Amino acid sequence: MSSPLTAAVGTRAGVILVIDDEMQIRRALAEALADISDMVLVAASGAEGLALAASSHPDLVILDLGLPDMAGVDVCRALRRGSMMPIVVLSARHAEDEKVQLLTVGADDYVTKPFGLAELVARVQAQLRRARAPTRPTSSPMVVDGLIIDIERREVRRDDTLIRLTRTEWQLLYTLVTHPGRTLTHQQIFDAVWAKSFGNPQQYLRVHLTNLRRKIEREPAAPRLIITEPGVGYRFVVPPE
Amino acid sequence: MIDRRRAIGWMIWSAILALTTVLMLGARDQLEQSHVALTMLLVVLGGSVAGGRALGFTLAAASSLVIDAFFQEPYGSLSVNKPLDYVVLVAFLAAAFVTTELLARSRLQADRAEARASEVETLSRLGSETLRSAATEDVLEAISTLVKRAIGADSCAIHSSDTPWTIAKGVAGLRETPPASTTIGLPGDLERRAIASGRPAHVNAVGTVIEHSDEDIGQPPELVLRARELALPLRAEDRIIGVLIVRGSNGLVLDAPRRRLLAAMGNYAALGIERTRLIAEAANAEALREAQRAKEEIFAAVSHDLRTPLTTIKVLAQSGAARGEPSSVAIAEQADRLARMVADLLESSRLKTGSFSLTPELNTAEDLVGAVLGQMEGVLNGKTIAVDIDFDSPALVGRFDFVHTLRIVGNLVDNALRYAPAGGTVDMRAERNGRWLVISIADRGEGVPVTERERIFDAFYRPSSATPDAGHAGLGLSIARSLADVQGGSVEYHEREGGGSVFVLRLPAADVDDMNAVDVESETA
Repeated sequence: MSSPLTAAVGTRAGVILVIDDEMQIRRALAEALADISDMVLVAASGAEGLALAASSHPDLVILDLGLPDMAGVDVCRALRRGSMMPIVVLSARHAEDEKVQLLTVGADDYVTKPFGLAELVARVQAQLRRARAPTRPTSSPMVVDGLIIDIERREVRRDDTLIRLTRTEWQLLYTLVTHPGRTLTHQQIFDAVWAKSFGNPQQYLRVHLTNLRRKIEREPAAPRLIITEPGVGYRFVVPPE
Repeated sequence: MIDRRRAIGWMIWSAILALTTVLMLGARDQLEQSHVALTMLLVVLGGSVAGGRALGFTLAAASSLVIDAFFQEPYGSLSVNKPLDYVVLVAFLAAAFVTTELLARSRLQADRAEARASEVETLSRLGSETLRSAATEDVLEAISTLVKRAIGADSCAIHSSDTPWTIAKGVAGLRETPPASTTIGLPGDLERRAIASGRPAHVNAVGTVIEHSDEDIGQPPELVLRARELALPLRAEDRIIGVLIVRGSNGLVLDAPRRRLLAAMGNYAALGIERTRLIAEAANAEALREAQRAKEEIFAAVSHDLRTPLTTIKVLAQSGAARGEPSSVAIAEQADRLARMVADLLESSRLKTGSFSLTPELNTAEDLVGAVLGQMEGVLNGKTIAVDIDFDSPALVGRFDFVHTLRIVGNLVDNALRYAPAGGTVDMRAERNGRWLVISIADRGEGVPVTERERIFDAFYRPSSATPDAGHAGLGLSIARSLADVQGGSVEYHEREGGGSVFVLRLPAADVDDMNAVDVESETA
């Protein structure tokens, strides 16, 4: 049952719920996701999706935004009210504002149409890993791409070399690392990093992030740890187990 | 009515005089003459207050005669030689005169105060009506009716100079055609003259048009203007926006208070007309916003409607490819190409119609380059992108819209990848140059002939050397340039030394010297 799409990573889910009004997409997604889950449930409308989510407690929901009966934001909010499972949104729209809005009401990630199946499956697996992982024990350092992040001791090392971060850079890294695999909006990051201080305006967020990348990425101009989601925010990659 | 009341007053005071006389006659022996005179004076004063000067004088004269005849010896005869006569008569007359004079003055003042009070009340009521949300037409109608009534005109009309029609007219008695006697200045002419000069004009009793010398209606307060017709220009912020016309076939009598009222009404009418105009303007602006919103909704809908089937095709093709169907890979690729063309067309339309919003923020060139590299990962086709950024110099900061600029750089890199030879490299370089952030994208393709170097930025332009199936709509460079222009930047073509093309994007750079003012090295890291 192994396919090229899922050969790399072995994360499996119990139940995945796909809410999409396009029958062909439901069918193709069900087929692609069958390899990484025990069961794929499909719903063609927001109401049907919410009912299925309530009765079957899926491990993850894939939600299309162009549903005929309900606004995507409302479905997302209703789903989140009931449970903590990851929600991955399929957005057909051009507007970044909508993505920001969805992430704010509780979506965990999104892919923009037309998306690649491999990309979607990878995002789904990343979310499953994140949800599956026990609350990360802060006593044990995290290792990503050769970078060692010790949250308890507030230390960052690469190749046994201590990396010196400014207070803001550390707060940025801490915020992203403690939400691995989740796209955090600019506003969410700002609230987490600057909420308690004054005088360092939000506009410098991207500049601080660029400086942080220079210190922790192997290739700062081709980042692998902190990914830019254009017009939306930033995402820290989930380290494969 | 008034005559009857006056006659009753005379009768009553005559009776009082008679009664007083009879009562005092009974006690004539005990009374001194001064007592009699004072009592009679009271009667005179009372009559003056109640019945006015005529009754006062009559009572004064009658009282003098009564005193002469009945209270001075020899009783029963009239004789002006009695010592008290002249004194009493003069005193009585003087008392009556002074009393009635004082009374008349205070009455006049009371009348004036009353007139002023009703004027103020009228103005305040109209003012609040004008400013409240009542329909403007109703307000103008109310003004014209009020003016008509207050100055006794046959008609009062308010015209707006923007529109050829009358907004409101005090309908009753309005003459649609001029009376034959209006020899000079036909109606319409009078108002045109008033509008042209910005000063009031009136037709006097003999039919002559008189233009006023300044903006007020008739200068000296004591002047009483008599007119058949008067046109008062209405202003808002030094513009003439209409005219108020009053007509009276029997002649309008315009004293100072009436002129003042007319001027005040003119101000309210101007306010009303101005409000109509502002409301129309606001409605127009609202309509424009509505149209813009509709346009954006259409783009969103088209975008959704085109992308959804493309997504379906792509997803189906990919799952087919996963099952090993050979043609599925090609289908997926074509779907991607179609998706890019759709995106280009939508983007181009958005730019052309202004249906996009720009959010310029502090961003860095590195972030941009990183995002482009992430996007291009799947479409490199064996070519590579080499990045040249000096990481030892401060971050390259500019003020630009990240999403739109990503599109610019993406289009330029896409274009370079298309023309780079197989297995070749696209060189991307970012640097600061004075007040500009400069990102250049260079390839080792064939370059662009001199004659085509500007035309490549035209929409739908395809280079003469391009294969018919270039897989794009020829919009990428045009979009890139437009998006750079709207952000105060530019995209230019340069010939590359050693062969090939360089596309140079310039964006406004930004300085962030103060950024680290409150940011210190973390104590523990």
